[in-house]
Amino acid sequence: MLALDRVNFEAHAGEIHALVGENGAGKTTLMNIIAGRVSPDAGDVTLDNAMLRRGSAAGALSAGIAAVNQSPMLFERFTWEENLALGGFDTHGFDLPAVAARSRALADRLGFALPPAGTTIEHRSVAERVRLEVLRALSFDPRVLILDEPTGVMAPAELAPFLDLLRRLRAEGRIIVLITHKLREALAVADRISVLRQGRMVAHTTPAEISESALARMMIGDLAVVAPSSNPSSETPGRSGGVALSIEELSLDREGHRALDGVSLILHAGEIAGVAGVDGNGQTELVEVLAGARAAQSGRVIVAGKPAGVSQSAMAVIPENRDLDGLVLDMTLWENLLLAAPIRNLVAPRGWLSRARALELCRELLERFQIRAPGPDALASALSGGNRQRLEVARAVASAPRVIVAHNVCRGLDVAGTAEVHRALIEFAAAGGAVLLVSSDLDELLELCARLFVMSRGRLRETAPADRDPARLGMLMAGHFE
Amino acid sequence: MISSIGKSIAALILACAIIAAVVFALGASPVGVFAALYEGAFGTWYATADTIVKATPLIFTGLAISIAFSGALWNIGADGQLIAGAIAAGAIGPYLGGWPRPVAISLVLIAGAAGGAVWGGICGWLRARRDTNEVISTIMMNFVAAQLISWMVHGPLIEASGAYPQSMAIAPSARMYMPIEPTRLNPGVVLAIALAVGCYLLLFHVKLGFELRAMGRNRRAATFFGIPIARLTIGILALSGALAGIGGAVQVSAITHRLYEKFSPGWGFEAIAVALVARLNPLGIILSAIFFGALDNGSQAMQRAQGVSPVLVQVIQGLVIMILLAFDTPAWARIRGQIFARDARSAPDTGARTDA
Repeated sequence: MLALDRVNFEAHAGEIHALVGENGAGKTTLMNIIAGRVSPDAGDVTLDNAMLRRGSAAGALSAGIAAVNQSPMLFERFTWEENLALGGFDTHGFDLPAVAARSRALADRLGFALPPAGTTIEHRSVAERVRLEVLRALSFDPRVLILDEPTGVMAPAELAPFLDLLRRLRAEGRIIVLITHKLREALAVADRISVLRQGRMVAHTTPAEISESALARMMIGDLAVVAPSSNPSSETPGRSGGVALSIEELSLDREGHRALDGVSLILHAGEIAGVAGVDGNGQTELVEVLAGARAAQSGRVIVAGKPAGVSQSAMAVIPENRDLDGLVLDMTLWENLLLAAPIRNLVAPRGWLSRARALELCRELLERFQIRAPGPDALASALSGGNRQRLEVARAVASAPRVIVAHNVCRGLDVAGTAEVHRALIEFAAAGGAVLLVSSDLDELLELCARLFVMSRGRLRETAPADRDPARLGMLMAGHFE
Repeated sequence: MISSIGKSIAALILACAIIAAVVFALGASPVGVFAALYEGAFGTWYATADTIVKATPLIFTGLAISIAFSGALWNIGADGQLIAGAIAAGAIGPYLGGWPRPVAISLVLIAGAAGGAVWGGICGWLRARRDTNEVISTIMMNFVAAQLISWMVHGPLIEASGAYPQSMAIAPSARMYMPIEPTRLNPGVVLAIALAVGCYLLLFHVKLGFELRAMGRNRRAATFFGIPIARLTIGILALSGALAGIGGAVQVSAITHRLYEKFSPGWGFEAIAVALVARLNPLGIILSAIFFGALDNGSQAMQRAQGVSPVLVQVIQGLVIMILLAFDTPAWARIRGQIFARDARSAPDTGARTDA
């Protein structure tokens, strides 16, 4: 897969440079190349006219490039001083008081407070963790500081002080590269903005010369290709039957923030409805609650007239993370089919597994869904990513549910694979099934879904037909509900 | 499965080669040592029978480990569960004089299963409901069982004369049949083999066993597909404990006829080696338990004939296990990863619905 395609990127001393783009656009890959963690196939990184060695993290760091990861990499059970001692603060032995003193001095200069002395990371907020990571990165006194989606999970109140911190770092003459998909934030703080889309640098601009909606359009793409299906054609299934899935006021708190906030949704038999949103706004939690893998604090899920769980066989969930949640990689293909309770009950009606029946079903599905596999006895780990995904779709369809919930089901699939999965879902809906397609791919959602919902910060909103416009959806995804 | 048996045999051969080198370095004859080991373990009809008798508790505890480990439930407490089973069996055994022999023996075995099931089930409940690491709880329950039996034979269950810290002998009707005296061969081993077949069918031919193995290999996926993790955890650790407990009851009924301190020489720990050598396959456990039983039994003959310390047998056991695991890197990596990485990644909370 081509992650980045002939990308040019340039940043100047004393500027905040925002790098924006959708999930999978290649932002993090670009950061990793600059920080020397990934070696590019072609191209180079230069700092002050000196070329950096490709793929040398140590080289990049000593040249003055420090990067802060998307999810803070801190040791939960260590104190913050111990965590920082693993950065550049401590060059001689393990002198924790000295580390603490130096970090305090630095934090004071930047105008933010550190946690009380000797506290562990465990109960610190995400913003505090990001600040500690920034502090650790700054301990190397870098010329260039790259921050990968640092604000992704920050509470609104934490955001403004954090942006102030970035401005102070800029004032010290450093280059700050801020990776984000939050356009308003980029426009507020950045001096210049670069836009990545599907591995290509599509624009270099400044906040003065671009509007938020124009930026959203650049980020999501010129959607001329999907524009016709903005009004779902007759081929796209619409509602045809009664209520298949009803989600009522689901709320869930997770790790101190509201992951799901009164989520309600009604899905009819025969329709494909979509949930759009930037990853990490509650979609994963919603799917986990629907699968029964996570309990919500309040609210109900009703599938085909019965509370979920009681009628588990009525809903099939295709989780986003196929290797972690959807498959048992060191079990055979036919055993993986058995993970779905309806198939398990079919193959083992009285608790006794019929291997012959399982093998037969597996062979049939391998053929019907064109899964390239050595045979039913192959281990799931032997399949390529796309074929693993097809196996999961095959399993969901074969368990004959009333509702399929599919989360980022086409991520990582090539064009043909995507088309096949889409066809399977459309056929399922045409036969009277209901599909809830949770996806961060707007093209896919606009193409398949008669109704669209947008999820942002745990809240779910149905969109009006007038919102079926990429720029408008981009704004909604960024949390701009009126 | 063929290749896994092949790997086990290759590991044994490599272990033997290293043993031979060690023995040679100690100044003894490797051939003589192996011959004496074999002679002591299988040289006579009586020796063979005793090897099987020594293997019997290892089969029961090995099965306990196999069932639990298949579900990634790291039961290190088979020893305590065996003792708990023995206590239950030894406590009711003396009072079964009035019952017909088959009934009395069955009652003793059921008591053993119940005792072990309680011991294992407590740890299962702690894991499922309080998220207590079962490695720790099962190890701790070993100590509780060891002190419990010590207290029992000094206190409540001490024999009538009170001369020794041991319990009253169980009623003759509760004693296992000894068809081939003077050997101690008894139907306990038949029961062990039958349970091994049962465990094999459970693991590989029954829906419950599939759910257990799926849970063992990917707990998150199992959660996602509505496999009742919490119920399985409690049920399987109870079943695992029951298997070990039956082992304890068979020991009381067939061999010791009473309880005393230090009842188990560590069968529950040796069982981990037995089960790992068999790659958790219940049928393989029969063979691997007999192998370990033969090592135990043959070591005394080895010492007499060759003047080599019986401790060398422990060296052999250690080497076999290490070499086996070295031959099987992915499986070991998985087990190790699951034991130590449990807290590292936050799994979905298993709330009430998964237990419903």
